[in-house]
Amino acid sequence: MAHESVNELPPLPPHRELDEEIFVRLYEKHFGLLVAVAIRKFQVPADDAEALAHEVFLSYLKRKDEIRDLQKWLLGAICNASRYYWRQHGRNTEQLDTELAAERPDPASTNILELMMAKIAAGEALAGLPPRWQHILRLRYFEGYSINEIADHLGVTAKYTQKLVTKCLRRAEEIFNASEKPRTKK
Amino acid sequence: MKHSDDLAHLAECAACRQRFTGNVVTFDAAARRNREEEFTTTAARLERERDRAPDVAVRYLRDTPVEEWPRLAEMPELRNNAALEQMSEEVRRRLHRKPREALAIANLTASIAESLHPSQYPSVVLAQLKANAWKDRASTLRYLARYDEAIEAAERGEEALASFASLEHDRAIVRLVKGMALAQLERFDEAHAILSECRRVFRDHSDTKRSVQAGRAEANTLYQANRHAESHNLLQELLQEAVAAGDVESQAGIHNNLGYCSAHLEDYVAANIHFSEAVAKFTDLGFTAEVPRTERGAGLILIARGHTTNGLARLRDALRAFRAAGMIEEAGLCALNIAEVLLERGDRKEARALTQNVVDEFTAAQINARAIKAVADLRDALDVDDATPETVHTVHAFVESLRHELHDAMN
Repeated sequence: MAHESVNELPPLPPHRELDEEIFVRLYEKHFGLLVAVAIRKFQVPADDAEALAHEVFLSYLKRKDEIRDLQKWLLGAICNASRYYWRQHGRNTEQLDTELAAERPDPASTNILELMMAKIAAGEALAGLPPRWQHILRLRYFEGYSINEIADHLGVTAKYTQKLVTKCLRRAEEIFNASEKPRTKK
Repeated sequence: MKHSDDLAHLAECAACRQRFTGNVVTFDAAARRNREEEFTTTAARLERERDRAPDVAVRYLRDTPVEEWPRLAEMPELRNNAALEQMSEEVRRRLHRKPREALAIANLTASIAESLHPSQYPSVVLAQLKANAWKDRASTLRYLARYDEAIEAAERGEEALASFASLEHDRAIVRLVKGMALAQLERFDEAHAILSECRRVFRDHSDTKRSVQAGRAEANTLYQANRHAESHNLLQELLQEAVAAGDVESQAGIHNNLGYCSAHLEDYVAANIHFSEAVAKFTDLGFTAEVPRTERGAGLILIARGHTTNGLARLRDALRAFRAAGMIEEAGLCALNIAEVLLERGDRKEARALTQNVVDEFTAAQINARAIKAVADLRDALDVDDATPETVHTVHAFVESLRHELHDAMN
């Protein structure tokens, strides 16, 4: 078949060995960082993080002549790969077996009325905060950003961000407790 | 320097990279060795293919009649990444001059990429090859105004990439073409969402050239949707990026676009400054055809917005520049634009003189006989007071359509 003959290429000429060395060094130099970014910044499981980083390297080979700043390109690629990974995994969760579901009660529906009340109260508590505070809590607890990422986003230090988050939570708790009291009495 | 885990800082600071990486759990050494080997083997293979026959595709395309190009998909020498890269370059080269040939090559690359043996390259590289081939087909179809087919082709490219999280950059390259095709179908909201996302991905990858390209397409979409202020703001941002990247060609185009937005926002001083900047930059770049086209566009938008004197001056500059560049057809069309304005102002004498010039120039350059006759009839109608600005407009449209007809026939 046509493609088979292309698979059997002649051995590399000697000067290519040097290039191969370059690729080995490149992989060794950056691979660990890419895996660390996927794991630490995006909480991608270690095995998947390594597979993602490896794919990023392979995809680099097709684009290498047009990449001006390799370090930045690799970092951009692993961040986007990690985001896409979560988009895919968010969608591809195992489908519920409907027959099994009919036999067993959904754990999420246990105490659903109480939970719903609490959720409504949480929503009200959030709505009672200033917009900037709401934004910070949304980033932290709804969108899963790390303290460092929120700090980058806000342009402040991580330490200050941690204080801000604690402060926002405390205020939300106060509002939540205040709204819970009349409900409990009822 | 403030040390942190911020990605921009990690990209610059070796010490922080080491610290950041050091805290991560150790790898499975055997799996890592296998991966490293796959990477270096693939790298060596791609390099070797590129070195082995740097012009193989060009030779085959040159030595084979166009109608037999589909047969080339069987040629073993063309069934590899290097040949596909060369063919992609051929698509790019022919896109403006010979779009039908470009489409035939794009079809050939799609056919090869889709039929490569799965073991020939790692699956992620195969997906890139397929996506790039479909992207080339989409670009060419878009150029030929076959927008629905262009979108279909881009979606085939997206499908090829869908299962690879690591190919966001490739995905954005394919989606950029899709976004532009959607904009041409006036599906502005969809186009805007896609183009804006593409721009973000390109920026993340420090791909400034494509980031500016996507941004300009996005700004153009906003402009078409009459969101002139938003388009203007985006273009200002892009101008800064293009200046920082030293990309003078993009700067020229962005100034031209800013001129249009400013005119719609009724800031005519700014519009004139931007148009003049665009002309100056195109002149510096030696883009002789773009200089009068920019002047003509500026003249027309200013006239449409009621700034007739200023607009007319721009059209006259454009006419001079078209003539100087030997662009007779475009000079004739520009002269008809001026004649229409003059007639609206009641200056029948100069309108007639300009029309006569067009007849003379078209005749000397042996332009299409039907175009010459149409302009001559217009001149005669002007002689007997029987021509209105609408008549001139109709003749302009007719001459332009003949030009497109000829262009299509040549391709």
